[in-house]
Amino acid sequence: MHIGHYISGAGHVALIGWLLFGQAFRSDPPPLEVTEVAVLSEAEFAALTQRAQPPESTQDIQAPVAPAVNEDAPVPPPSNPAPEPTPDPVPEPEPVPEPPAPEPVPQVQAPDVSPRPVPRPETRVAPEPVEQSDPALPTDVESRPDTTPDAEAEVVEPEQDAAAPEAAATEIVTEAEEPASAAPVTSLRPRLRPQNLQTDPTPPQTAEVQDPAPDLSDQQAEAVNAALASILSGGTTNPEPDVPVGDPLTAGEQNALRVAVEKCWVVDVGSQAANVTVTIAMQMDRDGRVVTNSLELISSEGGDGSAVDAAYRAARSAVYRCQGDGYELPIDKYEQWKAIEMTFNPEKMRLR
Amino acid sequence: MKTILAFFALCAALLVFALPASAQSGPLRIEITDGVVEPLPYAVPDFVAETPESIDMALQLARVVADDLTGTGLFREIPRDAHISTLTSFSSPIQFADWKAINAQALISGAVSVTSGQVTVKFRVYDVFAGTELGSGLQFAGPVDGWRRMAHKVADAVYSRITGESGYFDSRVVFVSETGPKDDRRKRLSVMDYDGANVQYLTDSSAIVLAPRFSPSGDRVLYTSYETGFPQIKVLSVGTVTSRSLQAGDGTMSFAPRFAPDGHTVVYSLNNGANTDIYAMDLDTGAQQRLTNTPAIETAPSFSPDGRQLVFESDRSGTQQLYVMPIGGGDAQRISFGDGRYGTPVWSPRGDLIAFTKQNNGRFHIGVMRPDGSEERLLTASFLDEGPTWAPNGRVIMFTRETQGAQGQAALYSVDVSGRNLKRVRTPDGASDPSWGPLQ
Repeated sequence: MHIGHYISGAGHVALIGWLLFGQAFRSDPPPLEVTEVAVLSEAEFAALTQRAQPPESTQDIQAPVAPAVNEDAPVPPPSNPAPEPTPDPVPEPEPVPEPPAPEPVPQVQAPDVSPRPVPRPETRVAPEPVEQSDPALPTDVESRPDTTPDAEAEVVEPEQDAAAPEAAATEIVTEAEEPASAAPVTSLRPRLRPQNLQTDPTPPQTAEVQDPAPDLSDQQAEAVNAALASILSGGTTNPEPDVPVGDPLTAGEQNALRVAVEKCWVVDVGSQAANVTVTIAMQMDRDGRVVTNSLELISSEGGDGSAVDAAYRAARSAVYRCQGDGYELPIDKYEQWKAIEMTFNPEKMRLR
Repeated sequence: MKTILAFFALCAALLVFALPASAQSGPLRIEITDGVVEPLPYAVPDFVAETPESIDMALQLARVVADDLTGTGLFREIPRDAHISTLTSFSSPIQFADWKAINAQALISGAVSVTSGQVTVKFRVYDVFAGTELGSGLQFAGPVDGWRRMAHKVADAVYSRITGESGYFDSRVVFVSETGPKDDRRKRLSVMDYDGANVQYLTDSSAIVLAPRFSPSGDRVLYTSYETGFPQIKVLSVGTVTSRSLQAGDGTMSFAPRFAPDGHTVVYSLNNGANTDIYAMDLDTGAQQRLTNTPAIETAPSFSPDGRQLVFESDRSGTQQLYVMPIGGGDAQRISFGDGRYGTPVWSPRGDLIAFTKQNNGRFHIGVMRPDGSEERLLTASFLDEGPTWAPNGRVIMFTRETQGAQGQAALYSVDVSGRNLKRVRTPDGASDPSWGPLQ
């Protein structure tokens, strides 16, 4: 027997003993709190409730004394139609005397609410003419003196913003659209991990002079074998110059380049150039920059000559503006991106 | 179970993302489909004053050019305070790096000289990031009084070189100038620069005038006059400011005139007391031709740029809609099918769009649609928008916007065809019924 069994046995024995002799299962309910009540007769109850009710009549309540009519006070105009505009300034009305507070009513219990707010003395004459709200209602146009434009007076143009008021743009998309912001639409994509530091610590400058023979990959070896086979079979000695060797860029690497250029591609959606798709070609150096004078237009689709020129300039500008110190491209795959063709298709941008 | 499936799906997605793309042959090919819509940043240093008399004018010219370009909403001027380089000579080499540093994509340099009352303006436009000049330098010369127009011409040339489209800054707009309250409004034919400057009045306010329309060459203006108490079409020579009536027929009312692209034919509506149809008149011979013949009210005709088709409004279907008919004969085809009523159609100088006024749910809109009725887009919305007219390059629409109430006043507004850059055209008085003239 282990010590643990002894401890467990002792604990169970103690628990059973406490349950049996410790009155753990006592069925006596806990004592209730007792509150004494008094029995009332119906008459006493009626008397009590009658006292809590307000008096049957309010005749005993003295109405507040109406303020004395001040003959000099301006007569409030009818709310409708609007008061006739007058060129003279409206005299400042005397403040309406505050009505006296009603006397306290005896035997009436005050309600459990805040006292009624005292009406704030208001000027009953509108300080300025109110424009007729309903054109169907009679207006005072006929009674107005004829207004003639003062030819000599200088016309004061209300100061307006360059753009139309915002209220005019709330119901349709085009007018509600805010001007395009210069802020980038998307956040910057994280820079790619410099994979080449681990795989190829050789500086890029010396990479060109390295002898590729010892580091031939399988694909390169296949290419060499294919070239040898071609020689032996009497074919041409030139390998296909347009087929780059090595692993192609991943979708993520290509997407990073695409996003980098898109940030700088300014599209004039209302122009004829927005109907033109252009494809440009460029050579890249190992720093990820466009080789000078290598960028060229190789094809276009849609639009006339001037529209194609504008579309080409926009594409060229996008590439140059966003290259900075060089696009983030994996140096170990330089053979894959040393020549790039970019197609700028504005179809999604039109009439946005 | 779902968690496990989601985990495997995530792993698969990451694997696909990290795997090399499909086998590549030739150069790396990337397709760019999402750009940005923003004004193109440009810089206009003060033009170089080559003579002492041209110091002030050099500054003003550069400012008008900048105002023209920035006012399109397509360009954003980089403040002169941010410039790193200064141009002290028109022929001095451009330090492109300095302009790249402030992100100027285009640079405009200019010089002004004034001698013997003649002003000469020359300019160059550069693509900063390409490090090249766009086109070659250009020079304008004219009287000193016309310096503002020369500035517009410079802006037109710059606009054209950057966008590949013709400009519209050196153009004029004929409109109806309005003064006085709504119940006693005085109207005069007026003409102004496209930006509201240099307003000149062509008629007095003795008679109500409506719907002026520039001729294709800008030398004449058609309008409707109530001088006799009935609407009659008149043609006014802008050079001599003299007008004559077009005799459409006794006992008839003629209105809504518009020139054909050839400038020799006028289309208009004629009401003979019982019906309103569209007619054409040869201005040289006075011969009339009836173009529509239905019991409906048909008006507001407008030619296509090639002169082969006509768009107009008609209520032949029960509501006011737009129709296109060939001039050479054939039935009119309805092109508007949306809710509400359509009117005052105007064909774009490009020929690719038709602008119109639309009334729906108590609101007025200026909109555009393709000539076949497709791709309808509403550009504005207000209490009252009407009467669109196209800029000569088909890029901007000007129209009348009237505010509500007894004190409401008409004003001219312009909006880019994309729906952006809605702004008011400042005029000294109220203004309505604009008609944009050609580029001069």
